Amino acid sequence: MICKKCGALGTITLRKKDIYCDVCFSINIVHKFRGCIGKNKILSKDENVLICLSGGKGSTVLLDLIHNGIVLDNHKKLRIRPLFLHISNGDVDRINNIIKQCKLYSFDVYIANIADYFEPNLKILNTNSLPIVNAEHNEKINNMFKDIPLSVYNDMMLKIKRSLFIKYAKLLDCELIFTAETTTSLAINLLSNISIGRGSQIENDIGFMDNRNEKIKIIRPMKDISQEELDNYMRIKQLTCINFDHHQENSIQSVISNFVGDLQENFPATVSTVCKTADKIGLHNDNKIKKDMKCIICESNLNRKNLKLSALEATEFSRLVSLLKPQPTPINSNDGLHTEDWAVVNSMHKSMFPFIHKTLCFSCSRNYAQMSQSQLTQTIQELILT
Amino acid sequence: MPVPCGTGCGKNAALKRPKTGDALCKECFFWAFETEIHFTITKGELFKRGDSVAVAASGGKDSTVLAHTLKTLNERYDYGLNLMLLSIDEGITGYRDDSLETVKQNRDDYEMPLKILSYKDLYGWTMDEIVAQIGRKNNCTFCGVFRRQALDRGAALLGVKCIATGHNADDIAETVLMNVLRGDIARLKRCTAITTGSEGTIPRVKPLKYTYEKEIVMYAHYKKLVYFSTECVFAPNAYRGHARALLKDLEKIRPTCIMDIIYSGETMSIKEEVTLPSQRICTRCKFVSSQEVCKACVLLEGLNKGLPKLGIGKSSKAKKMLEEYNARQNTLEQVIDDLNDTNIKKKSGKKRNGLTDKCNSKTCCSGNCNSTQNNMEDNSKINSLLDEYSLKETDKPVQQLNDVSDDEEGCSSSCGRLGGLGVGF
Repeated sequence: MICKKCGALGTITLRKKDIYCDVCFSINIVHKFRGCIGKNKILSKDENVLICLSGGKGSTVLLDLIHNGIVLDNHKKLRIRPLFLHISNGDVDRINNIIKQCKLYSFDVYIANIADYFEPNLKILNTNSLPIVNAEHNEKINNMFKDIPLSVYNDMMLKIKRSLFIKYAKLLDCELIFTAETTTSLAINLLSNISIGRGSQIENDIGFMDNRNEKIKIIRPMKDISQEELDNYMRIKQLTCINFDHHQENSIQSVISNFVGDLQENFPATVSTVCKTADKIGLHNDNKIKKDMKCIICESNLNRKNLKLSALEATEFSRLVSLLKPQPTPINSNDGLHTEDWAVVNSMHKSMFPFIHKTLCFSCSRNYAQMSQSQLTQTIQELILT
Repeated sequence: MPVPCGTGCGKNAALKRPKTGDALCKECFFWAFETEIHFTITKGELFKRGDSVAVAASGGKDSTVLAHTLKTLNERYDYGLNLMLLSIDEGITGYRDDSLETVKQNRDDYEMPLKILSYKDLYGWTMDEIVAQIGRKNNCTFCGVFRRQALDRGAALLGVKCIATGHNADDIAETVLMNVLRGDIARLKRCTAITTGSEGTIPRVKPLKYTYEKEIVMYAHYKKLVYFSTECVFAPNAYRGHARALLKDLEKIRPTCIMDIIYSGETMSIKEEVTLPSQRICTRCKFVSSQEVCKACVLLEGLNKGLPKLGIGKSSKAKKMLEEYNARQNTLEQVIDDLNDTNIKKKSGKKRNGLTDKCNSKTCCSGNCNSTQNNMEDNSKINSLLDEYSLKETDKPVQQLNDVSDDEEGCSSSCGRLGGLGVGF
């Protein structure tokens, strides 16, 4: 057990083969974090940055790394003005713990509530105190999440939080946001994205920067650090996290999370391979676009590749033929149907993809179709109209 | 309580469609199933009127349903296609021998001509023999690579415009996941295309691209189609199994995810700065390849040299393997060299038989096959080079090797070596 860097006694084994000592390991983690920010040349001096904390392992380490960076007094000092935000789902214990965690570093933290999603006029909050929750909005959000499939819940939660991060960043005058996703969680997000039809949004959802908002960019400075490294860093620095970020069980996301964990055991390169793949996937670029249409939920661009036929049309067609009785069909008809049949389905409001390419992207439209509660429909429709 | 059919035809539903969640009776399901495939064919512009189309037939459910539906639709919508069946006999006892009987049954049922090509005739090896060499791991690599080329050869023999394969929606979703897990960006880009094939090659089309495996099984079952349902005896150890297991778990939670994954693959863009290997023609066998020498040639070379792992894994390993092998051969050859100059010529001639055999054999072309002729030409070219260089100037070809081994893959280096040491094909 010899550290491969300095030759001292090794204490940590990464990827089942690489041995490091505590000191070299910690230096390496800090280096990965700073390198990720540095090489992308995104920070200007003393910029306001909104740091989003969930209380999970990633955010606990992010908090520590930021603190270490700004207390330095040499040329390596991290020159940012951090502001901290936690978006709560109403768990008071967790809020108190996060306030406590930030206090250890003498940081103040803003606490917001997920129900703020429906608040049109957000106000700047007091730091280190419980948020005031609007009862009406709270009911709306509860209704929205009632009886929806858990995969949709997980996905919508991510989108709602993202939207709130941006709203608060605007309010607090930050143009940058840091979130704490690790290589491991990004690999899971990548596979989840693909599995719910968000393949074209990968660069923004998994890459270093989410560029969808014109003003405010979301940065993932821990994208090169793995779960295994997080665990070791926390042990060395004696950090404790407040909660474990778990996806709702029995969902697309939880299945993928378990799968990646299992595969990682036998094929240790899986996570990094998956993330390297993500780095090569970009956005569809069409210069001929007149005006940018964006999905109102996830802000993704609604312009798409020109395809003769895609899974979207194939699914819509399946719905159509599943509503029609077998009929002798005109031989020269292109799709084997009478043209008026399409109109029939549209008039029945049975489309598999409501609002698609008008206000919603493929995946958000799919989510919407699965949240069939009338109250929810109303809430989203308010959003669609505003 | 029985659920009524969603079309309002008055009958009770027989199944719930995984793609849309609609419940349908048998009759309405048949119509929807077939009309969807028709939609895919016309919207995807898969065929042209008057085309000859080879249906790649394994005797399994997908290809049986494909052959049946194509025949039905060809008559119903008057595509004007000339359909035929093309089968590859990999030589897997207890699997392919039985399934080929099913294909022959299909031939009689659907009145289509059938052509069978075998690995034994094409490559000199059956899969049984290959597995005896390589073991239970990695054998799907051989089978897949060889089959791809075998289908091309078969299609060229039949003179068809395109090959229709039975890949279904599940297969494609699985491939997308697998390519992400393996980081294979080039395949990720092309695996969701409904028509594949570059210029000068025979395109392949996938009419069942948007058809769920489950519905194919139901269709075959209700229509009482004869198909062969045993899984390949060698398949369970393949890496693909991981992607398959994941997809099955995802499908249980949300059946639409198969279409969603395909949609992701279709709408995904690869960054412009990413360099992808370009497809070209193998310098040895003249079939499509992404390297100078195609994978099939490398794998075959490995088998013939007794280095079955040659084409598997990293190219650096292949290089090392070849170096060791050549070092052995070198010493041997020097000894032989001293004794008898002509010995080497004899040796290379003998080795070549494995390949030239195929053209004289009963299943292949009886001499008019383009591909094999190219092959022989290539062989003779290399042989003349050998005659010129190998005995006198052993150094020169080795020098050549160093040039090519900078190439990204090990196959090219194997090629250089071969020329140099005169071990031949």
